[in-house]
Amino acid sequence: MLTIAVSKHSLTKNMSEMNWVSDLEAECDCVIEWQEVSSDWDQKKQAMLASGDVPDLILKGIDMTDIATYGSLFEDLSDDLDAMPNVKEMFETDPTSKKIVTETDGSIHILPSVKKGWPTTVSHLYINQQWLDAVGMDMPTTWDELYDVLVAFKEQDPNGNGEADEIPFDFHAPSTDGFGNYEPHLLLGSLGLTLSNKSGTGYFVDDNEVQNFFTDERYKEVIEYLNKLWSAGLINKEAFTHDYSTAQSTARGDGDTAKVGVTWGWTASDRFGAELADQYVAVGPLKASADQTEPVVGEYLADSLSYNTIALVVSATTKNKEAALKVANAFYGEDMSVELLWGDLGVDVEKTGDHSYKVLDPADSSKDSSTWKWTETLADDSPGWIRPDSEIEYPADLIEVQEDEVPMQSAFDAVDTENDIMPAFLQLSSDDLKTIQLNNTTILNTAMTKFSSWVTKGGVEDEWDDYVQTLKDANIDENIELYQKAYDAYMAE
Amino acid sequence: MAPRKLGFIGTVKRYWQLWAMALPAIVFVAIFNYGPMYGIQLAFREFDFTKGLTGGEWVGLKYFKQFFDSPLFGTLMANTVRISLWTLVMGFIFPIILALLINQIRSSKVKGFVQTITYLPHFISTVVIVSMINLFLKPDAGVLTRVLGVIGIQSDNFMGDPNLFTPIYWITEVWQHVGWNSIIYLAALSSVDTALYEAAKIDGAGRLQLIRYVDLPAIMPTCGVLLILNMGNVLNVGFEKVFLMQNTLNLDASEVISTYTYKIGILQSQFSYSTAIGLFNMLINFAFLVIANQISRKVSNSGIF
Repeated sequence: MLTIAVSKHSLTKNMSEMNWVSDLEAECDCVIEWQEVSSDWDQKKQAMLASGDVPDLILKGIDMTDIATYGSLFEDLSDDLDAMPNVKEMFETDPTSKKIVTETDGSIHILPSVKKGWPTTVSHLYINQQWLDAVGMDMPTTWDELYDVLVAFKEQDPNGNGEADEIPFDFHAPSTDGFGNYEPHLLLGSLGLTLSNKSGTGYFVDDNEVQNFFTDERYKEVIEYLNKLWSAGLINKEAFTHDYSTAQSTARGDGDTAKVGVTWGWTASDRFGAELADQYVAVGPLKASADQTEPVVGEYLADSLSYNTIALVVSATTKNKEAALKVANAFYGEDMSVELLWGDLGVDVEKTGDHSYKVLDPADSSKDSSTWKWTETLADDSPGWIRPDSEIEYPADLIEVQEDEVPMQSAFDAVDTENDIMPAFLQLSSDDLKTIQLNNTTILNTAMTKFSSWVTKGGVEDEWDDYVQTLKDANIDENIELYQKAYDAYMAE
Repeated sequence: MAPRKLGFIGTVKRYWQLWAMALPAIVFVAIFNYGPMYGIQLAFREFDFTKGLTGGEWVGLKYFKQFFDSPLFGTLMANTVRISLWTLVMGFIFPIILALLINQIRSSKVKGFVQTITYLPHFISTVVIVSMINLFLKPDAGVLTRVLGVIGIQSDNFMGDPNLFTPIYWITEVWQHVGWNSIIYLAALSSVDTALYEAAKIDGAGRLQLIRYVDLPAIMPTCGVLLILNMGNVLNVGFEKVFLMQNTLNLDASEVISTYTYKIGILQSQFSYSTAIGLFNMLINFAFLVIANQISRKVSNSGIF
């Protein structure tokens, strides 16, 4: 018998209701007892790890950070690859998948997940095309043009309901622990600063050198521009205080009356709802000024979206190691990988050939395809390897996001993926990581408060130097050095 | 004749029934409050999960120094003390006023009605309260935003203004708990001997004088004890509520010791550091408690120890 803990999405149905689970039991010739955790995983995980009592396998719950501290609780799988032919094949076919989980001493505690068909980034900028037509303006390509468009949105009642209820520009509220998806730091790309992984806490790489944009002049320019928008009343007044669900519902407007002109989202239908999605189109690269020579770059998260290093760990003290490895191997089978990501064969996915699959529309037509996979199966981050030669007919949400990225393609092409990307899966020692996190808590406390206060009240020009000094006092340079060390080690491999 | 001094054993033998009644509580406190205290040595050790709570390397005051040297230390302390003192003082005064007012109501039906209405909010959970605050104070559209706008109190965004964080915090806190906290004073008031009122009235006392010379002295000892007990929690600003009300705009005024400990300790698993901060917090609270008790003993001759 095996005990497997899994950190599930709250929408996901019970493991016992998934068909692939019985295939899995047949494969390992064992009975699986599931520990399904749908909320507060991080807190429960801390208790579990600190007590040292872990189940045989954990899915989607243990990351490289945990391994830095609690590595000894888990099996080093680097010498067990022969017992897991699927995993071995994955590591040979796709060396990146091996590199991201191999620790500095060569051990491998976590197995990754490898997906296909995912976009380059999460946040896409959208504009209401109907409103653009209504005010008779062209798609903006610079910050100044965007400003003019937003002013027109505010003043000319583009949704035609006779009320001045238009919100020209909106974004999700930056949180106190850094920037996230759909937040306004994304404008940094306009100035040629490549945002990638760890950019939520300000770090980026320019020409193989780690830096932090919190003390970068270009960040100041973004703040000044946002302050200009704010002062003109073009940004949602609630932009810094609304929570995720309020922000989402604001953009979904009122029936077929749109309320928001320009904002970031995953896809148009996710951000604006099925009814309004047609009004919106993705915005292409925005230059900061018309005469700039620096190319606009897009946020580059391709590696962290296609790979993940939290898929699976095996306990070091498991009583039935053979079965555990069999299960681990089975997850990476071709069919099983597809089923874990999109749902059961014959129900959610149709197998159309030896190596080809078609993801079916949700059986419940009231659900969209991105919500559906989370209800049917473990979906993203679950163990699995979508093989490069598997042919997939993608679900509607992926097709939509792939299409919505087309306008920005030139900005993604402008990214120097060799020298300007912070890799998603840097290896840091637990001491370094602790230092970085501790410093970050202080840095972010200052930086995030200043950001919102400068955007809403101005004053960045006067306070900038003091602010930079405060961040230096909070050891921002020490963090940059630590990341540089890890970056160099990663690139040297 | 002075009573014969009983030793500890003697007291136990003599009053064994009382001790038997107190026993479950004593055991409970010993197990759940004193027992876990061995864990505070974590504050002086480098936590290492392989060696358990007590096995880490001894690092002395390293984590305390780290906290005191942190650039956030000043802000954290100032915010914590400001928010808690306001809440403490206002949360102390208003229930007394409310109790005195309710006590003036003649009709017992009206009295019961008012009491029920005022203590109902106490039972709403913090998450709901904070959602309500957020909704009511939404820029432009919130109910309270509009009402306050009419009487001349305006702000672009109430929840985003660091200067307004403390007032919003304590006002809603008082609103939520004032009814509940006044119950104990009402109980004290109901035990006042009616002869005192009559005597005072015969001497020509008006309503205000009745409150001043009869009601207030009657509830003074209760006030004292409650104040001392509250002082012991002076730095324990309600974590949930502050955390839920935080956003990047008001963080300057809303980061308090408990939210910082949460971010450091639980989210980043720096157990030693957060234990050190927690211990420091407790020491300050303890000092406040002792000081309040001493003052109370001097002033009103009543205290809890």
